[in-house]
Amino acid sequence: MFNVARHRPLFIALAPLLSVVAVVGLGAAVDSYWQYVLGMSLSAMLVGSALVMLTGYARCITLATGSIMAIGAYASAILTVKSGMPFAAAVIAGAIMGGAGGFLMALPSVRFRSHNLAMVTLVFQEVVIILLREWKSVTGGAEGLNVPAPHLFGVTISNDFIFLIVLAVGTSVGLLPLSILLQGAFGKNLRAMACSEVAARAYGINVKRNLIAAFTISSFAIALASALMAPRLRIIDPDSFGILPSIFALAYPIVGGTTSIWGGILGGGLLRAMPEILRPIADYIELGEALLVIGIVLFLPGGIIELFNRLHKIVTRGHFVKAGKLPDFISSERPPERGKLCSGENVAWAARIEELSVRYGALKAVDQVSLNVRQGTIHGLMGANGAGKTTLFNAVSGFIKPSGGSISVFGEALDGLLIEDRIRLGVTRTFQNVAIFSGLTCLENVKIGLGRNDIGTALARSVHGTFDTIRAREESETAMRALHSVGLSAYAYVRSELLSLGNQRRLELARAIVSNPKLLLLDEPVSGVAEEEVSKIHELLRRINRDHGITMLIVEHNIGFLASLCDRLTVLNHGRVVAEGEPKATVSLPLVRDIYFGEALVA
Amino acid sequence: MRESKISKCASLKRLFAASLLAAITVGGTFIANSARAEDGVTDNEILIGALGPLTGATAFVGGPARDGLQLGFEKINAQGGINGRKIKFIFEQAFSPAESVAAAKKLVEDHKVFVLILASGSTGAAAAADYVRASGIPTYNIVGGTPIIRNPFAKNVFHGAITDASKSAESLAELVKDKLKAPRSVGVLAGTYAFPQAELKGVQAHLKGIADKIDLEQFDQGARDYTSQLLAFKKQDAGAVVMLGSFSEAGFAIKQASEMGLSNLVWVLAGTAATDGIIPIISPNIPRDVWSYSFTPFLPGQKAPTMDEFNALWTKRYGAPPAGRPNLYDMIGYGSAFVLAQALNKTGPNLTRDRLIAVWSTLQDAKPSNLGGIDVTYPESFSETDHQGNKVRGQAHIVNGAWVVVPNTNH
Amino acid sequence: MSELIMILVGGVKIGSIYALAALGIVVIHKATRVVNFAQGGLVLLGAYGAYVFIVEMRWPYWMAYVVIPAIVGCVAVLIEIVVLRRMRRGDLFPVVIATIFLGIALSEGYRLSTRAEILSVPSFVSTMPFVIGSVVISPEQLWVTFGALLAAAAGIAIFQHGRVGRSMRAMASNVRGAQLCGYSIDRVYGMTWFLGGALAGYAGVFTAPVRGVSSELAIATVAAAFVAAVIGGFDSLIGAVAGGLILGVSETLAAAYISSAMKSAISFLLLFVVLAIRPQGLFAPKKVRSV
Repeated sequence: MFNVARHRPLFIALAPLLSVVAVVGLGAAVDSYWQYVLGMSLSAMLVGSALVMLTGYARCITLATGSIMAIGAYASAILTVKSGMPFAAAVIAGAIMGGAGGFLMALPSVRFRSHNLAMVTLVFQEVVIILLREWKSVTGGAEGLNVPAPHLFGVTISNDFIFLIVLAVGTSVGLLPLSILLQGAFGKNLRAMACSEVAARAYGINVKRNLIAAFTISSFAIALASALMAPRLRIIDPDSFGILPSIFALAYPIVGGTTSIWGGILGGGLLRAMPEILRPIADYIELGEALLVIGIVLFLPGGIIELFNRLHKIVTRGHFVKAGKLPDFISSERPPERGKLCSGENVAWAARIEELSVRYGALKAVDQVSLNVRQGTIHGLMGANGAGKTTLFNAVSGFIKPSGGSISVFGEALDGLLIEDRIRLGVTRTFQNVAIFSGLTCLENVKIGLGRNDIGTALARSVHGTFDTIRAREESETAMRALHSVGLSAYAYVRSELLSLGNQRRLELARAIVSNPKLLLLDEPVSGVAEEEVSKIHELLRRINRDHGITMLIVEHNIGFLASLCDRLTVLNHGRVVAEGEPKATVSLPLVRDIYFGEALVA
Repeated sequence: MRESKISKCASLKRLFAASLLAAITVGGTFIANSARAEDGVTDNEILIGALGPLTGATAFVGGPARDGLQLGFEKINAQGGINGRKIKFIFEQAFSPAESVAAAKKLVEDHKVFVLILASGSTGAAAAADYVRASGIPTYNIVGGTPIIRNPFAKNVFHGAITDASKSAESLAELVKDKLKAPRSVGVLAGTYAFPQAELKGVQAHLKGIADKIDLEQFDQGARDYTSQLLAFKKQDAGAVVMLGSFSEAGFAIKQASEMGLSNLVWVLAGTAATDGIIPIISPNIPRDVWSYSFTPFLPGQKAPTMDEFNALWTKRYGAPPAGRPNLYDMIGYGSAFVLAQALNKTGPNLTRDRLIAVWSTLQDAKPSNLGGIDVTYPESFSETDHQGNKVRGQAHIVNGAWVVVPNTNH
Repeated sequence: MSELIMILVGGVKIGSIYALAALGIVVIHKATRVVNFAQGGLVLLGAYGAYVFIVEMRWPYWMAYVVIPAIVGCVAVLIEIVVLRRMRRGDLFPVVIATIFLGIALSEGYRLSTRAEILSVPSFVSTMPFVIGSVVISPEQLWVTFGALLAAAAGIAIFQHGRVGRSMRAMASNVRGAQLCGYSIDRVYGMTWFLGGALAGYAGVFTAPVRGVSSELAIATVAAAFVAAVIGGFDSLIGAVAGGLILGVSETLAAAYISSAMKSAISFLLLFVVLAIRPQGLFAPKKVRSV
């Protein structure tokens, strides 16, 4: 029997092509002028979708869309005119050059965020346009370049409807990979990154590389759209690809919706056709568009797609499970796999921290701390505010570079290792301020925890996901099991930001254990959690440690929680270890009590 | 179980989105589709379309051209129209090449106009010209000087008041030769955008024989600061500056020059700067020698009975004119309306596009007064091989705070 | 040599207007974290206001320097209240988008409201140059330069000293803490936007005779102001002013000695070089590390 559910991802990936078909169908019913307009809409749909990836998912404000379009149009036009390259090949070449342009632009840009990033893209935009304008011998300069009608299979295409079909095919070639990537692991990683860079890096998502990839892929698509459209414009000049068209292109994903490819399709298609539909009030179009964008940003931040989502929710009431109170544990029905960690009787050190120091100028935040965590145990770390425990923690997880000393995990040194690479050594962590990836479902959050997130793997996983291969299903099952073990399997398809704080902490935990880590770092796991939930999380951590044998290093202020949970406790004060040992005994030490409760030592 | 529910709802959602997009475009099609005339000619109407920029940097061309055309056609209709048919005039806004092709297609394929008028300069007109050459519709290019519209020659394209940019360049060089004594050191100030660059080649070529020293400086579109360029001219002791740019750019260059002590320069401006909009910018220290060429016998600010008549007519129709209006393009639009009307008239009641093109190619001495209009443009004549209607360029000079055409200097 | 001086004078003049516009952006950013891409639109508003005030209403010219900045300041506050207040809690991305399109809305609104291509405003002082040796300078150049820099200095003084400025700096440094000390976000943000808008208004009144009033003024100004702010250091007030002057001078120098056609390319390359070498800006305050 044909399993619809199984092929759902494939249908979702192919669905945008339906809109292309719809446009062509519409084109059959109208005159050649409207066929021309629909052609422009198709091109804009591709641009919009590409911008959903870059501006919507990766949250990069790019002011360089015009220049990328210019590269695509000029490259393919020049190749056609000067070297007689066939249209299809020239378009692909133009797209590749656009992608290369995006790559070059991204290299210096991805150090920056927000307005600085926008400024670097602005530099690229302006410099490219000036180059095109001044390189008169090749590009025709400011007066523009005449783009002849394209030849395809020996036929010159001058009929508007035939061209519409050609555009449809070309647009589909661009839309399909975008669709696969946006709904797949790559898209999820981009959104995770935009949500919490810190957490994304901790799970192997290299922010810079992902941004460069996003720039390159979206630029390829944008240049493709522009190269396809160039013959229709007849004359291309640098001015058509200036800063204003770049800004108005930003409106496509903003108005359409930044959360799915449909936003780009809707936004691009509508906004590109709008000036033609609204010709009688042509003068007011730009003002209208600007006000529309502002209105959307204020009142409908999810874009027009948001309207559909809301309608959808009204129509299918109670479709998703509302976040409720913390469920009781479901003890695992399947015996959990015990990792290789627990094999063997040798006492192995999960982590060795030797003489670690972190200095800020003259301030010694961490002063020659040595700490060893036994494999399979829970090791607690406590200290007053400013004692250095967060700094120490951040040094182990890679967020701070130590000034001296060394850290090793299961014999492997962590020194100098990038944050993104630590998950490969089996080090995962949770965060003090819950850093789940909102906008993604719980299942998607946990899948990122698997750590298979370098660019090549993410791209491959996107394809796997679309075709629902064995590998993709294995991933889902593993992620479900992790959710199950923290008691959140009912929330697998719920958006993670809808969960209560306690549930979000569990989600973080599921994300942290799904990769079967060797060392799990927990940063204040019960901070801000209500009393009855504290004990539940206590139980949960115990269970995870017992069933999966995961070694844990926990920083916590809640002394009762920590002392009863951990096997060994270290106390820091002013950056130094002041006590270490069995929890209850350590906590009762007069020195420790003095630090915490101010019980003065009798002099 | 829950999954298939999601999939059904999700694909419903997708379908909804696609249908909405389709519905809006279809709805838009029906809303936007106005009068559909068969071939542009009915028993009592002739449909004439025009396109030009109403927004953007060259808005001072399209809007006024539209107003001038409107004024002319209304006068002709008031007198009974053309062989019993009234003119229906549609204007579509078009600035960039993309918009220009769209506007041309809309007019020709959607509105199905009988004749198309290009009231657009530069790249927009070039894009539309490409389209009209392919479509064969009678086309009247009234303000475009760039060579791309004229080459290659097309038998359905006619050019009106404004001449080829290369010819205009010759006029500029002639002005330099006329107003500046040898030895001549000339500065050329050119915008980096399309239309000045089109004129630049011709200017440099024609100046070679006339000037001993030529220094080229450029500026970006919309530039207002010319410190470095003017200093370069000062360094080489330029006696004249040929300025290729808009009136606002020229205005600020002239203004800044006098602020920098360059008060004895002979300024030779491209035709687009010969509009009274420049006057407030360069006041109160208007240099003695600001020259340009003119495609019309008068300029709007000129004290002449013809201009008074025209200004009165314009004000009666459109109200008190804002600063700088009516300008050159109001006049060209107006005059062009009459030339076209005469071509249509001469073709007779049996109006087809081919017949119009044939008759137009024999039109001689077409001027507004032939049909009761005001002669604010030169008479236009066409032949089978020469489709440039007006070939006259006169000298223009700023005198007493307004541009005037200097009489007896036509060539 | 005299040529070099004249180039510097010209560069400093346009630079001081950039400085004023950049300062407004940095003031708003320092206190509210919002990057105001609508600053160019506000400058345009100021320039148009100057035209109406001086040319149409024929009111005393000097009063324009007092009234127009106040009006533009109020418009800026209005923008903060009507548009940005709703978005205060969320992340900054939609805010940036909103200000970009607000700037466009302002310039389009201006363009639609006037049929004239460009509006001319006379200069406040004489434009007839005087000669010192072989250097030609006009009083207008001096007036614009010193006037703009004076206004900038006043803006900086207000921010650095005075009660109003203290509250802005407190807000910039720690929102919650400042609130606990009794500062109201609404009032402080309002005053910040007023100050930023007033600086834009000043820039507009100085710009109007120099560039004329047209809708391209908005984008041209905001691009230059941003480049200046980034060069100088986005969170440094002195940096904004210095960045503006550096930009103006290097643009003019580049146009004179390298190529006038590549003038804007050079300013963008300068921006790129600064971002590559010292991304926090040339005059950024020393980075303070949080422990």
